[in-house]
Amino acid sequence: MKSLAEVLRDNRAAVLASWRANLTASVDGLVGSEETIVNLYERLLDGFSRSLTNSLNDLSFGPISAYMAVLSSERARDGFSPSATSRLLAAFKAAVEPVLRAEYASDVDRWQQELRKVGEIVDQLSVLTFEAYMKAREEVIARQSHAMLEISTPALRIWEDIILMPLIGVIDTSRAQHVMEQLLLAISANEARVAILDVTGVPIIDTRVALHLTKVVQAARMLGAEIVVTGISPEAAQTLVRLDVDLSSIRTRGSLRAGFSEALRVLKRRVGTID
Amino acid sequence: MTPVEQTLLTALVPIITELDVSRARQEATAIAAAHGFSKPAAYRMATAISELGNNIVFHAGEPGEIRLRVLRADGRLGLEAVAEDRGRGIDDVALAMLDGYSTGGGLGCGLPGCRRLVDEFEISSAPGKGACVKVRLWI
Repeated sequence: MKSLAEVLRDNRAAVLASWRANLTASVDGLVGSEETIVNLYERLLDGFSRSLTNSLNDLSFGPISAYMAVLSSERARDGFSPSATSRLLAAFKAAVEPVLRAEYASDVDRWQQELRKVGEIVDQLSVLTFEAYMKAREEVIARQSHAMLEISTPALRIWEDIILMPLIGVIDTSRAQHVMEQLLLAISANEARVAILDVTGVPIIDTRVALHLTKVVQAARMLGAEIVVTGISPEAAQTLVRLDVDLSSIRTRGSLRAGFSEALRVLKRRVGTID
Repeated sequence: MTPVEQTLLTALVPIITELDVSRARQEATAIAAAHGFSKPAAYRMATAISELGNNIVFHAGEPGEIRLRVLRADGRLGLEAVAEDRGRGIDDVALAMLDGYSTGGGLGCGLPGCRRLVDEFEISSAPGKGACVKVRLWI
């Protein structure tokens, strides 16, 4: 009786044809190109012919595992869902089943055994597909949040010696660290003497955010710059009083306009009309 | 704590990272707005949740959760948040409730401040047994 690998090799054309047919029958015909299918088939065949166990950890399944992982992460980046990729494998399993049934018709035990082997490997590959997909998506998310961090803290030079940094969004630890770095960098690059930190867009100012603000103020003072915090909402002010957070060491102003006049006052400057 | 007559809505947010704290806070703000809480009240509740959530993230050392509940008692509507973890717990609860006391380099007004933000406050904790803080705000 032929081995599983021999069956796959001898029925190559038939299995490939029915695999392809299964894919077109499914909702999206886009799940695999001809080249992908042939590549997968070669590697599966190679794995089955050399493997000693039913585990994907078997070294002979290395090439198919690696190929599947790369395929899945590429497709993740292209916006395919992981289920579309694992349907590719399900279609393979469905294509192999009738061939095995015909081949091992005389030996039910053997048929069951080979069928289970195909099933186990396909299942493990599906799990791998999802893992690779998740990993690729996480990389995308990490890249995006890094990019967001970059654009979320612009330091603008709005006047001689005055810079403005509007903060939008939640200030968590990594964000606070980034704000600190960018602000100090901007202060020293512009030789600014006043930096306005506008927190209008910060949804909540709790003790942690207050702590971060105090630290930024202290660090800026070392560079010879005063910080004016603007845009604390009336709700935030009431809450901070109840929390008993001491922000007396920080110059705060309600509006950005008031903050700017405070900055001018610190610099002993005045904006006047032209006569 | 006031005996509860009716629970109208519940929500649960697992707390592992700072992002989860934001989620719990957003959830609470949305619930508060939907049930007619004033903007300052909603902000106070959101801040309290932020404090309690950050306590879990930075001090518990183990994941925790925040459970939100809209309740009715004495004909009033209230919003409750329970922050619970199975982390290292608080050695001395009375000390932790004192203003200016901090073990993690914070400002030391998280817990006592949180108590001042809400109408009802209950804390239970033991070393190694995690902590559970329940806060309520009534309309």
